[in-house]
Amino acid sequence: MQHTDSAREQIIRAAAHQFAHRSYSLVSLDDILREAELTKGAMYFHFRSKHALALALIDTQSEIMRNTINQLLANKLSGLETLVDICFSLAMQDVTDDLAKSSLHLLEAIGRTDDIQTRRLSEWVAAFTEITRRAAEEGDLADTADPADVSRLLVAMYAGTRQVSDLENRAEYLRHLERAWLLVLPGFVRTDRLDYFAQFVRRRSTVAIRTVGRC
Amino acid sequence: MVRQARSEATRRRILDAAVELFSEVGFAATSLGDIVERAELTKGALYYHFDSKESLASAVIEETAAEVFDTINTICSSPSPAMENLIHSSFAVADLVTTHLNVRTGIQVARGLGEFNNIVAQSYQGALELIVLQLTAAEADGDLRSALPSDAVAETLLAAYLGAELLTGPTSVSADLFRRLTRIWDIMLPAIADPEALPFLRQFLSREALRHGQSTLQLE
Repeated sequence: MQHTDSAREQIIRAAAHQFAHRSYSLVSLDDILREAELTKGAMYFHFRSKHALALALIDTQSEIMRNTINQLLANKLSGLETLVDICFSLAMQDVTDDLAKSSLHLLEAIGRTDDIQTRRLSEWVAAFTEITRRAAEEGDLADTADPADVSRLLVAMYAGTRQVSDLENRAEYLRHLERAWLLVLPGFVRTDRLDYFAQFVRRRSTVAIRTVGRC
Repeated sequence: MVRQARSEATRRRILDAAVELFSEVGFAATSLGDIVERAELTKGALYYHFDSKESLASAVIEETAAEVFDTINTICSSPSPAMENLIHSSFAVADLVTTHLNVRTGIQVARGLGEFNNIVAQSYQGALELIVLQLTAAEADGDLRSALPSDAVAETLLAAYLGAELLTGPTSVSADLFRRLTRIWDIMLPAIADPEALPFLRQFLSREALRHGQSTLQLE
């Protein structure tokens, strides 16, 4: 517990914890206040409504994801390797971090308003496409593979796997992700690099499963 | 607050000037007077921050060590297998050395001062500890042969790397450092890697080397 956290940060943390474990409609601002140990006044100063708070959580998580992606890009591995790393990094956050977990539930609950869900996913596809283009330049993609198509597929695969998996079963979720990657790789990776990337994906998933098993 | 900022700015100017001169004419040939002149400061300003050339050298070396360790730690904290992180961070350090004059100079000065300077000994020790940590994790990952003495492997890797830097003097093309680094791994990997993991690791190295304009040896 950091005592130097601002009231806003405390509210966000408490809200993330609440929304991570209970559905949006069942959580009240009072529940969050109680956990954050703040006054109603402090809450309303920062957030006028549950909806506004939910939006703030989604935005905060978006930023964290952007930072994760940028950090991994800064590692300067190849484009495709970076995409695998990004996918598994975000997946690990999905199962261990309250903010990530809550963001998923909140997007389901309020994602239709202002097309938040659609916009976010499009942003992702755009970001991924830049990286996939690099992968093409580096010669890792098959000649026939279109970077934008590949990116859309990967984002859909990641988001979809998340939907169909029980996130409480961490290892299983990550294994699903691994199997998905192994299935789609032959669809767009150059044939002579397939073996390498299959191993790369398996190695990443092994580390990821072990890491989340420890939390 | 303003005084602190000014003081920090002065310290920075002294260090930058020292790095320039050390890299231009070497540590021994640089005098404090030269540094004062290059930094365009007074002797008093310099002595306020540093009481000797040695303490200046220590500061330069400390900054270098901090940047190198920061680079290694950032990479090694990513959720990827330890052996990959080790290979990748060695290239990242070589990148740092070739692109940052202060880092390159810090290593040069450290070499010159060697056993006379405590910071240098601590830095090498710190580097060894980092490498041992990664090797231990790599063994747990199944990427290393079992029962390898990680201390010995770490020392060998560090010695080889420092040797590569030594051979790649300031007049060499930076490509030489990457070539030498690639060779180190070309030769070390078959010696230390688990036979099943070796083909993958060699490809990983090959890709990393290619990103730095190098090709790996076709060893059989």
